[in-house]
Amino acid sequence: MADVLSETVQPEDLKNAASLKKIYHEQLYKNDVTPKAQFEYAWCLVRSKYPADIQKGIILLEELYKTHEEGQRDYLYYLAIGNARLKEYSKALNYVRSFLVIEPGNQQVLNLQQNIKKKMEKEGLVGMAMAGGVVLAVGAIVGVGMAIASKVKS
Amino acid sequence: MKMDEDILTTLKILIIGESGVGKSSLLLRFTEDNFDPEQTLTIGVDFKTRKVTIDGNTVKLAIWDTAGQERFRTLTPSYYRDATWLNELETYSTKSNIIKMIVGNKIDVVMFYASSYILRLMDNFLGKREVSREEAMKFARRHQTLYIEASAKTRDGVERAFEELVHKIIQTPGLWESYAGDQIHIGEKDHIPQSSCSSYCSLV
Repeated sequence: MADVLSETVQPEDLKNAASLKKIYHEQLYKNDVTPKAQFEYAWCLVRSKYPADIQKGIILLEELYKTHEEGQRDYLYYLAIGNARLKEYSKALNYVRSFLVIEPGNQQVLNLQQNIKKKMEKEGLVGMAMAGGVVLAVGAIVGVGMAIASKVKS
Repeated sequence: MKMDEDILTTLKILIIGESGVGKSSLLLRFTEDNFDPEQTLTIGVDFKTRKVTIDGNTVKLAIWDTAGQERFRTLTPSYYRDATWLNELETYSTKSNIIKMIVGNKIDVVMFYASSYILRLMDNFLGKREVSREEAMKFARRHQTLYIEASAKTRDGVERAFEELVHKIIQTPGLWESYAGDQIHIGEKDHIPQSSCSSYCSLV
């Protein structure tokens, strides 16, 4: 099911994304990038399914966050999303926390925090299940060994 | 994991409209029966779900709540396109395969019926203006949208808005079967003329 973390740029969006990318690069070429162009391009990038794009989006957002006062909350929010999508959960949660210092009651961000924690938990459990599988296999080998041993004994 | 076998389908609803008209409040009331007088500005898009049973059919509503702020205006239309993707492209505002509803929100504050709604969407830049209830209804008729008045604060009309929307979708064969398109649009009544309204919600 879709949510803000799994939602990606759809094929029909790519046209839009391409034009935002073009605007950004044109401005970059003239050495005059507006925060608007940079943010819009970064917004597309962090929603990409390719980690390299997301990473690039994060860099653009970090830069905006340091230099552009006005859109701080938006930058923090998408920095959290980008990092979470790269499975950089602790970084993502740090951004969430910085956001909540400014707006403690923001439901959208509190939900995001919960989503990230759920993801961490789920992936943590998957890791444990794999470890469990290994233990079982070792158990089976020991079992076979013991069966052979008892056979030999008798 | 067990599948939800009782769910007929998932419908995507998109709420759009100007900043501050109560899109998120409407959604919060509908999904969590809650109201936050200090509702913060939505960033980009937010997402909530709720199951409803209408006419004996249980459907899951996946509701996308979009930011109304100017700075997201270039970005959020991708969600309307998204909404019609499963039908056909480029048809989101006028084609009959999208169900649209205009919701006049904030009826608890009354006074003016303020709205600029789909106008902005269609013409893209008309910006905020106030319109009377009559105008709003006329507009809704002209653009073949459903029309309802609601208050997320007092919860008047909120359930009904979504119920009517889903009812209408279920009644329109070929819509939800192949995934539907559908839109709500919120207008609002407000005591302060500057805070005009509109919101609009699209459903796939």
